[in-house]
Amino acid sequence: MAGSPAYAVDLTAMIAATMLPFVSFLTILIATRGRPRLSAGLSIGSVTISLACSIALLALHFHLAAPIEFSTRLLASGGLDIPFGFLLDRLNLLMIAIVSAICFLVQVYSLGYMAGDPGFSRYYGFMSLFTWAMMSLALSASLLQLYFFWELVGLSSYLLIGFWYEKFSATQAGKKAFVMTRAGDAAFFIGLLLLFVHTGDLSIAHLDSRSALSGVSPSFLTLSALLIFGGIVGKSAQFPLMTWLPDAMEGPTPVSALLHSATMVAAGVYLFARLFPFFSMSSVAMTVFLAIGTISMLLASTMAIVSRDIKKVWAYSTISQLGFMIMALGAGGYFAGVFHLTTHAGFKALLFLCSGVFIHRYETNDIYELSRFGARRMVIPTVSIVLGAAALSGLPPLSGYFSKEAIMGSLAAMHNPLWLAAGLAGVFLTAYYSFRVIFILLFPRAEGAASPPPQEAGITAGGHAAHESGYRAMAWPLIILSAVSVIFGFFKTSFKDFIGGGAAAGGAAGMEPSWLHIAPLALALAGVGLAWVEFGRKGAKQIGFVDRMPVLSRLFAERWYIDRFYGLVVEFVIDRGISRLCSQNDRKVIDGSIDGICEGTVESGWVVAFLQTGMIQYRLLAILGVLALLLLCFYF
Amino acid sequence: MIAPFSHVLVVAGILFALGAFCAVTRRNLIMIVLGIEIMLNAAAIAFVGGSLHLDNLDGQTFVLFILAVAATEVSVGLAIIVYAFRRTGSFDPADFNLLR
Repeated sequence: MAGSPAYAVDLTAMIAATMLPFVSFLTILIATRGRPRLSAGLSIGSVTISLACSIALLALHFHLAAPIEFSTRLLASGGLDIPFGFLLDRLNLLMIAIVSAICFLVQVYSLGYMAGDPGFSRYYGFMSLFTWAMMSLALSASLLQLYFFWELVGLSSYLLIGFWYEKFSATQAGKKAFVMTRAGDAAFFIGLLLLFVHTGDLSIAHLDSRSALSGVSPSFLTLSALLIFGGIVGKSAQFPLMTWLPDAMEGPTPVSALLHSATMVAAGVYLFARLFPFFSMSSVAMTVFLAIGTISMLLASTMAIVSRDIKKVWAYSTISQLGFMIMALGAGGYFAGVFHLTTHAGFKALLFLCSGVFIHRYETNDIYELSRFGARRMVIPTVSIVLGAAALSGLPPLSGYFSKEAIMGSLAAMHNPLWLAAGLAGVFLTAYYSFRVIFILLFPRAEGAASPPPQEAGITAGGHAAHESGYRAMAWPLIILSAVSVIFGFFKTSFKDFIGGGAAAGGAAGMEPSWLHIAPLALALAGVGLAWVEFGRKGAKQIGFVDRMPVLSRLFAERWYIDRFYGLVVEFVIDRGISRLCSQNDRKVIDGSIDGICEGTVESGWVVAFLQTGMIQYRLLAILGVLALLLLCFYF
Repeated sequence: MIAPFSHVLVVAGILFALGAFCAVTRRNLIMIVLGIEIMLNAAAIAFVGGSLHLDNLDGQTFVLFILAVAATEVSVGLAIIVYAFRRTGSFDPADFNLLR
């Protein structure tokens, strides 16, 4: 089948889509680091071709019936056989389209945002690295291959968070992100090995076919599913490992938009969807996933309520929306989870990019300050951010409304009403915190309302012109993403056909009660209304209801003390426990034994040297003495 | 042979002990070489006595070899001593301990 021309076209397109960014990454790092414009051109050119290939593939295979797999052997040793190749089905057709589209938009946007940065070429190099890794991750045919690219994606995330490496907090945040996701990846890898030992095959198509795992015991299935989910928890910043994501906002804003909201963190959810048939074989594991998604969603929403940093609000909301996706998938709503992933990628990238425009212009992350500087005067970003926030809150007719509704539908199908209640609470909180930001931005309050932005006086005419041209590069992606957020929801049914046709459509569709269509909308509107009462209306003090309860607001602002807890664990268990033990072992046992051997050699040398007096007569005497003794020995 | 064989061996033994005592105790390189000469000669006496006692001329042949070896040894040894004396101005074996 590999010989027919249609497959050759597919293969070429996939290779072009994945390898070109890699080529541009290498070229930029090796050859064109000194020429920023050329580097940006290379990177954007390669991502454009990737985008074209992805869209062509999507168009070609819009009615794809069965997954197509191209694979060759990466290495074989005895009974071990590691395949390497591309798997093409509806889910990853969608994923590569999302990834390449957002990569493309963000790279164009970065032309404006990163203009004049000394690391401009390096930035585009890392962006290409990320594009390559993410596209290859989406197209991987086997779990092991996916794991390689999973780690590469983590590496590029680390490089981009710590992009401004002169800033101490940025390097710290990069390190934190790397180490915390690694904690999850370790579990993921152990899960992979377990699966490999028991099934002998890590190809995704094999794992997803129910027959492959029929002989495996259910407890083992649950264990390996939970371990693999550990990787998802790390990458998608879910409950125990969530605190790296807000800190990752130290990176440039386009990076936050691309990696830490739209695509990389969604890789975890993608993996969940990828192995959905495998995971759904263990009901215990699915319940655990559902619980973790719910906890992350609620915790992160409460954190977002009190944050003053615009990027952090969106970061918390990313965690909470990822929690929503995991909840939907955990409840068996395959379509709902994947649909929310898609819409979220659009509106969250939009929100970050808008915030990036404000941050670029006014050089502050504080919403109150942005508002006082008059951020609302920038028309395109302001309109876009309102659209994005409305989509995030799930207001019709924006895309978020449709995907949230789908999620609520799959949660309502669960027997336990607790999950649905938690989901509805999440909808309310989401609407509240996103419109809190919007109302604060739109309605600046008294204290120095007319004060000009501090930089305005100092900006020279040339600098201003540069700002303006950069602004255009930044505005277009905003317009495109806003348009997508507005219209995408209307394609829900065709999307459902597209996604649902390929894989087993989960969830009990058709038994949704009629109030379910109204309840999320009503709660979202209630959230917006509460935000309006507290932040929007004339004379509002712009103090949230949580801020009136110091205990609660402190708890939320401290991120439920999760970071403190980790700090204590690191300090007492790791620094003072394990590390200290290791360092003692190093100093006392290893160094001690080596020093002991050396000193013993030197000292025994001294002892031996004491015997050697340099007097020939003593040796003669010794010879004679020995001979005399031998004589005695022989004769008596 | 007039003297009994055991007497010859006793004389040779006494000479050997004297030579060894001289070689070990004297703090003079020339005296050490002299002591070694005496030990060689003691061995030669034992060989001659043995040769007469056993009616075998091999022992006397050995004595000729011993004399030749002793002569060369003395010449080489004395040459070394002279050279060492020129280098250090001392006959004392305790002074030659560079390898220590």
